[in-house]
Amino acid sequence: MRKKVIIVLCSLCAVLGFFTLWSAEGAFRSDWQLPAAVPADEESYRLVLITQELETPFWEKVGAGAAAQAEQEGVILDVWGSYGNNREDFLKQIEIALHSKVDGVIVQGLDTDEFKALTKEKAAFYGIPVITVANDVPVEESLRKTFVGSDHYAAGKMLAEQLVKEMGGSGQVVVLGDIEQQYSQQQRLQGVTESLAQHADISTVYAESGKSDEEIVAATQNILNQHPAVEAFIALNANHVGPMMKEISRRAQLEPYYLYSFDDGSETASLLEQGKLDAMIQQSPEQMGEQSVELMMQWLRNEVVPLESAGYTTDIRIVKGAEAQP
Amino acid sequence: MNTIQKKIWMLALVVLVMMIAIWLTLTFYNQKIQTQYNDILQRYLEMNEITSESQQMVTDLNNYLLMPSDDTQSSLQASRERLLDVQSTVYGLRNVENEFALTNYSHLIGSFIETVDRSVSFQEEGDTEASLTEFTEANRISMYISEMTLTIIDTELKTYEGFYRGIIEQSAELKKLGVWLLLLITAALLLFTYLFSLSITKPIHQLTKAANELAKGRFDQTIYVDSNDEISFLAKTFNHMRRNINGMILEIQQKAQLERELQDSKLLLQQSQLHNLQSQINPHFLFNTLNTLSKKAYLDGAEETSDLLVSVASLLRYNLKRMDRAVTLAEEEFVLRQYMEIQKARFSDRLQFFTELDSGCLNLQIPGLTLQPLIENAVIHAIEPEEDGGHIWFRIKDQQDEVWIEIEDNGKGMSSDKRQQLLEGTIVPAEGHSTGIGFANVVKRLQLFYGKDDLVAVESEIGRGTKIILKLPKVRGTTNHDQAVDSR
Repeated sequence: MRKKVIIVLCSLCAVLGFFTLWSAEGAFRSDWQLPAAVPADEESYRLVLITQELETPFWEKVGAGAAAQAEQEGVILDVWGSYGNNREDFLKQIEIALHSKVDGVIVQGLDTDEFKALTKEKAAFYGIPVITVANDVPVEESLRKTFVGSDHYAAGKMLAEQLVKEMGGSGQVVVLGDIEQQYSQQQRLQGVTESLAQHADISTVYAESGKSDEEIVAATQNILNQHPAVEAFIALNANHVGPMMKEISRRAQLEPYYLYSFDDGSETASLLEQGKLDAMIQQSPEQMGEQSVELMMQWLRNEVVPLESAGYTTDIRIVKGAEAQP
Repeated sequence: MNTIQKKIWMLALVVLVMMIAIWLTLTFYNQKIQTQYNDILQRYLEMNEITSESQQMVTDLNNYLLMPSDDTQSSLQASRERLLDVQSTVYGLRNVENEFALTNYSHLIGSFIETVDRSVSFQEEGDTEASLTEFTEANRISMYISEMTLTIIDTELKTYEGFYRGIIEQSAELKKLGVWLLLLITAALLLFTYLFSLSITKPIHQLTKAANELAKGRFDQTIYVDSNDEISFLAKTFNHMRRNINGMILEIQQKAQLERELQDSKLLLQQSQLHNLQSQINPHFLFNTLNTLSKKAYLDGAEETSDLLVSVASLLRYNLKRMDRAVTLAEEEFVLRQYMEIQKARFSDRLQFFTELDSGCLNLQIPGLTLQPLIENAVIHAIEPEEDGGHIWFRIKDQQDEVWIEIEDNGKGMSSDKRQQLLEGTIVPAEGHSTGIGFANVVKRLQLFYGKDDLVAVESEIGRGTKIILKLPKVRGTTNHDQAVDSR
């Protein structure tokens, strides 16, 4: 009896002890560590990449490339920007970045006076280097250190040559651009028109459109009404492709038309995959990101002074639509 | 020695230490969590303070620009100081997660202060327009600061979300732990208490069992208690008492044995005295008559008859007097001789009596009337039935520390069975004894007198005679018996 009681009590103690330890282990193990503090005197380089079109495939890639390079360089890089071409917000972000005295600003160029005022005056006032990426603004107007991105003139030419190759030496081509033309778009247009001008049988129609979808649709309708014989479309602004295509397909078959654009729009990649887009210029967003950060760091560390003010071009190539591919 | 008091203290201390340990752990742990929690809360409060301070500074600047005075300037200066303070605090809050945002934030505040300073200095220089531009700028930056504060607090909340959830989970775990701990302590206390009570009750139980044994009269079992406290001490004392009682009981038993023996001897004495009393009047009358007869015979010239009568008379007197008292061997031998005179007169030539006496032993003390009955036996069995009579030898020999008294006859002897019966005293004395005292009575009295058995040896062979040897020690063994006998 006595032994039984002792054995029962002992085993009870052992079982409860096990559960207590098990519970204590759960209670006292804190699996969440507070982030480590950064010493007050330690300050690494802070770079900001600012774009107008956050979370588009093109800019995601730029950001990824930049982030990879920043990690390699051991500097902090943050991607800021506005969504859907919200210029006001975009400019505000630049202003905040400048007021925050970051060490370098990598920014998508915007060919407006406000932008130029910011880069010219504010950035110069705080002594912050600015590198434009993907879209350039001429150095005389923006005082940017350098530009990293595609040669848009060459891209325009390349696209036009591809069009001629596929369409043949004759036909009517519509080139659709923005009313407010960016510096990069101007260069694209220049490349396209110069290239097409070599072919006497090809007539080029230049049309302009606003930014909103309605304006684009209206512009497309206008073109189709005025030039029923049009055979090919080149959208200088990749964001115009979507609404434009919708309007065309509403009125007629898409197939007969040759549609060309660039890759820096939100929809172009998927349209190309679906075969609706016949070809587009593929730029190298990762390379842009990487190179811009690399150049910025070289500038900040005084390794390459001065930077090439004409800019550093990145690779471009033609990508054909799915149907065109074998 | 491990006392019961010590045990109780130990139990209380163990419980106390357990409680204190648990209390300390939980308090420490709670404190830790609270500190972390406060730290985080502090961050939010400081960030929030920056927003209000920057807005305050804009207001102060506005007041100053509108109405430049010492008052407004000093309040602007004060809010500037405060903002600088908070800025440095915020700068210290940087960690891996928010290093970029907080550094930017800190610089943004710096820019704001610089802009305000510029606005003030333009105002002082009288350039109102530039001052206003800077004021607008400062206002905008202040707005940015507000926005950034919200963003940063939002980020912080996200950063610390896991931590909060961890705290909540841990407090739930802690509750569970508390329940388990309570159960464990309860079980452990039950165990300890049980062991503790057992360590007290088990010895008591053993002791009770031992006491029961004693109560039943078993004093020979050792009391053993498996403990080392006061109860063990009690048990040892108890055991000691048991041993003493046991010893006393043994002693009492021995005494009772002696008492019984004494009673026996008294009984025998009374038996022989009774015999005496039965013939008390007769002997006195006889004694006087014998004396008268002796004188008469002497006067008549029959001297031989007179002597014989004297012998008979003295023998009679001896019988009356010497029964309950120790006498010397010499006295006993004298009476024996008187007796033999009488027997000689009876049997004349048929009785041949020989004595060999070691005169050095005649002072030996022996109980009265021991030899005469033996000689009488010899006469009765060896002389009376024989036509030709017989011989009787009476010897007293000195055998170192013993005196051997031998009474030998050459009668018809007896079988070994009869001899055995004789020694065991189962033979009823036959008629014809002058004193009424038999062999068994003699042997018993000798044993009581010397306090030892094995005093009498009987050698006998049918047709060859019988020899009785009394082996009497020169020094008597038990004295108490002698005194008991002497005291009557």
